[in-house]
Amino acid sequence: MVLEQQLLPYFQWLLTGGDDQIGALPTFALVFLGLVMAGLAVGYAIAAARHGLLRGGDVTYHTIVDGLREIIDTSPRRIWALARLAIKESLRRRVGVALGVYFLILLFANWFLSTNHQDPARLYLSFVLTATTYLVIGVAVLLSAFSLPGDFKSKTIYTVVTKPVRAGEIILGRIIGFTIVVTALLAIMSLGSYVFVIRSLDHAHSVDASTLERIVDANDSTIGQSGRTTTDAGHFHEFKLDADGYAATSTVNGHTHEISPAGENRFAVSGPHGFVRARVPQYGKLRFIDRNGADKDRGISVGNEWTYRSFIDGNTPATAIWTFDEVSPAMGQQYLPLALIVRVFRTHKGVIGRPIAGQIQLRNPETKATSDPFPFDAMDQQVAEYNINRELTTNNGQPIDLYEDLVSKGGQVEVLVKCLERGQYFGFAQPDCYVRLPDGSPAASYAKVCVSIWVQAVVVIAVGVTISTLVSGPVALLFTAGFIILGLWRQDFVDIATGKSYGGGPAESVYRILTQANVMVKLEESVLTSLLVGFDRFFAKPIMWAVAQFLPDFSAYSTVEYAAEGYNVPWDRVFQDVTTCLAYVAGLALMGYFLLRTREVAR
Amino acid sequence: MLLLSLATLTVTMSDEIVLQTRALTKVYRDFWGRQKVRALKALDLEVQRGEVFGLLGPNGSGKTTTIKLLLGLLFPTEGEALVFGKPASDVGKNERLGYLPEESYLYRFLTAEETLDFYGRLFDMPADVRNQRVDELIKLVGLERARKRQLQEYSKGMTRRIGLAQALINDPELILLDEPTSGLDPIGTREMKDMILRLKDEGKTVVMCSHLLADVQDVCDRIAILHQGELKELGRVDELLTVADVTQIRARNLSAECRSEIRETIARHHGELLAMDNPTTTLEELFLTIVRDSEARPGRRAGVK
Ligand SMILES: Nc1ncnc2c1ncn2[C@@H]1O[C@H](COP(=O)(O)OP(=O)(O)OP(=O)(O)O)[C@@H](O)[C@H]1O
Ligand SMILES: [Mg+2]
Repeated sequence: MVLEQQLLPYFQWLLTGGDDQIGALPTFALVFLGLVMAGLAVGYAIAAARHGLLRGGDVTYHTIVDGLREIIDTSPRRIWALARLAIKESLRRRVGVALGVYFLILLFANWFLSTNHQDPARLYLSFVLTATTYLVIGVAVLLSAFSLPGDFKSKTIYTVVTKPVRAGEIILGRIIGFTIVVTALLAIMSLGSYVFVIRSLDHAHSVDASTLERIVDANDSTIGQSGRTTTDAGHFHEFKLDADGYAATSTVNGHTHEISPAGENRFAVSGPHGFVRARVPQYGKLRFIDRNGADKDRGISVGNEWTYRSFIDGNTPATAIWTFDEVSPAMGQQYLPLALIVRVFRTHKGVIGRPIAGQIQLRNPETKATSDPFPFDAMDQQVAEYNINRELTTNNGQPIDLYEDLVSKGGQVEVLVKCLERGQYFGFAQPDCYVRLPDGSPAASYAKVCVSIWVQAVVVIAVGVTISTLVSGPVALLFTAGFIILGLWRQDFVDIATGKSYGGGPAESVYRILTQANVMVKLEESVLTSLLVGFDRFFAKPIMWAVAQFLPDFSAYSTVEYAAEGYNVPWDRVFQDVTTCLAYVAGLALMGYFLLRTREVAR
Repeated sequence: MLLLSLATLTVTMSDEIVLQTRALTKVYRDFWGRQKVRALKALDLEVQRGEVFGLLGPNGSGKTTTIKLLLGLLFPTEGEALVFGKPASDVGKNERLGYLPEESYLYRFLTAEETLDFYGRLFDMPADVRNQRVDELIKLVGLERARKRQLQEYSKGMTRRIGLAQALINDPELILLDEPTSGLDPIGTREMKDMILRLKDEGKTVVMCSHLLADVQDVCDRIAILHQGELKELGRVDELLTVADVTQIRARNLSAECRSEIRETIARHHGELLAMDNPTTTLEELFLTIVRDSEARPGRRAGVK
């Protein structure tokens, strides 16, 4: 549910790309080339208008050649001086206020966040991380958009550009300086958030002695006790103590406690475990068998979720089949650790209060040896973790070994999931079933989430600084904010540009709004409408398409969901994001260089 | 043979001439490209190495515009400006150049020390050289007691001083000063003038603009007078100020007889005795004449080549 798009391994992502996309590096090269061509054309047009056709070409040529030479002259000391200046400027502009706001938010957060929730860790983490993201990006926008215009306004830029400072150093210095400020802010906020989440979720239970009951074996000798804890933070746990008095409680609200003996008939209950997790899934490939037993790539649709999840109908041969590679006892000596997330779609209520039943079977893709079904109760949209025992039986009761008989020679195993109740449906997408590899470190994964926030902030800074070479502070602010908003809804933007979404381009949309025609209504044919459609087709949409080529996909950068859902952020993801970020900084700095170089400073 | 001598000629020429403008013209335009002001009209200037050159002119005559064009802060509408033989837009020229703007455009949240350190870093100076230079300059401009204070607390004159220190951080060969004495007290003005003369002694080239004529007269070797963007007068100060048809007599310990004798002598030679007293600052006279004259008859003055 976190991963709606397949994550490519880093080098594949960088060089060759996946099925329907080319590699990141070729993409970058293409976009870069496109921008260079556009820049050249615009630059020449301006130079020609200023100096005439021939001399304009000469000026353009020299600007570029000098620009390339200046890249070599770039001095780290100057960049660092300008970065320090940017840091001092930020401090003077009281970036610390952002920290104040942040701690106020945390203070009030306890009022409306409740620990009595079926997944409080998710609630808390997504709240604090989202707040951190917005604050950090807000600070990034404000700092970057107003800095250079401020220098132009106070004319302090005169004394800087009359030193041997290359325009690129002014841009890079600012980007680096603000990045340092934002990094410091982010570090403080994310540490604060982590402590806040852990401390807010922390709670203690004790064993409710009145519930303790002996567990006896066939010979009536005591082999343990069962009971439950007191109700604290709105919930209690059940447990079965072993003969020595140890137990792990049941999982409630996403966590457990450990119980250990503490003297005569007294027990100690540990703090909560498992609130913050970093699950590491190994995904397989999903295919379906429909109700008539035919192979299908997709299941059936039950409405608007069809793009992502598809469904199998209950009590029919319809099955969802995942094939996992590289399955070996290294994953678990005694059992195969699986996780399954089910989207339950009920066409009738069924028995109230009772979950819908399903079954899991394992099958060898070569020998087709199949295990006895393993029943489960489907909890809608929750991650259910199952340990499939190594010693299994076949349909006809013969013992088989999971790793030896059900896993093929190539290391493959199939997991077959069915819904058992008539008229009910289970919905699945590829990442909904996976083999659980050992959990990663939650703190490390959390840090990786913070890196993804950092990446967004740095891209924003680069955009803000670059655009502010051209325009005044408020305009740069608007532009950067617009960039972020378009970036957040990049997919919709692209869909409009490529005509995938209904309702046409901008001009047509305005017309539809004014005439109150909804997106599905066919436009009447007139000169005006064909003009509008033509405008969209030949002007607005190509521009949108061009913009989309270098628009960062902000929604895709956010890994807050990983932390909230308790998944480990893969390193591939981190490397990809950081690479993209560096590409943006490099490209934007270059663009900023030429914008600043060709701008008349003392206007 | 001819080629060779031509080559040597250009080498020595470019070595001598530090600043050069050729038909330099600036038209300020608004956002839509409509013409607002013709601030500078076809200016031709040459400044030699080791000179103190004064740009004079009333408010709005284009002095600051000229300096900005020389620095590459503005792009010329026509013509070109060369500094050290390179186009003004070349960043490399800044290595050997110092600039004191009209008002001190410095970061107000930095202290004097931090300011100089910052600009020192922009010249890629290593830390030890930088620290030494900062100390020297702070002493030079007399800001030892305010070195750790933020510039926003500075008085106008103090800001001017730190501005000058900033312009000298790289020990420049060419210094452009836009109204260097504005805001300075009499002592500061004196110090500034002494400084300019000292820089000249060190072989530096100084270009300053001002409308404080006394200052210009005291320090400048050559001046150019601008009015409404046009060059009205250009030449050596001593030559410009010599009024050929006027003799001024200054003497000490003259007796009454001697004085009447002189009067008689002048009368005998059909001369007219104008005055026999202390001379006035005649640059002022010259300046006012030129400005008045130019207002009466706009256009280029015949005397200027
Ligand atoms: N940025 C600008 N936009 C439009 N016009 C300008 C601009 N800067 C200067 N001007 C105009 O150009 C002319 C010359 O201005 P400039 O600043 O060069 O004068 P100046 O000789 O330095 O005057 P002052 O002695 O007052 O400093 C003036 O008419 C002025 O109004
Ligand atoms: Mg001026």
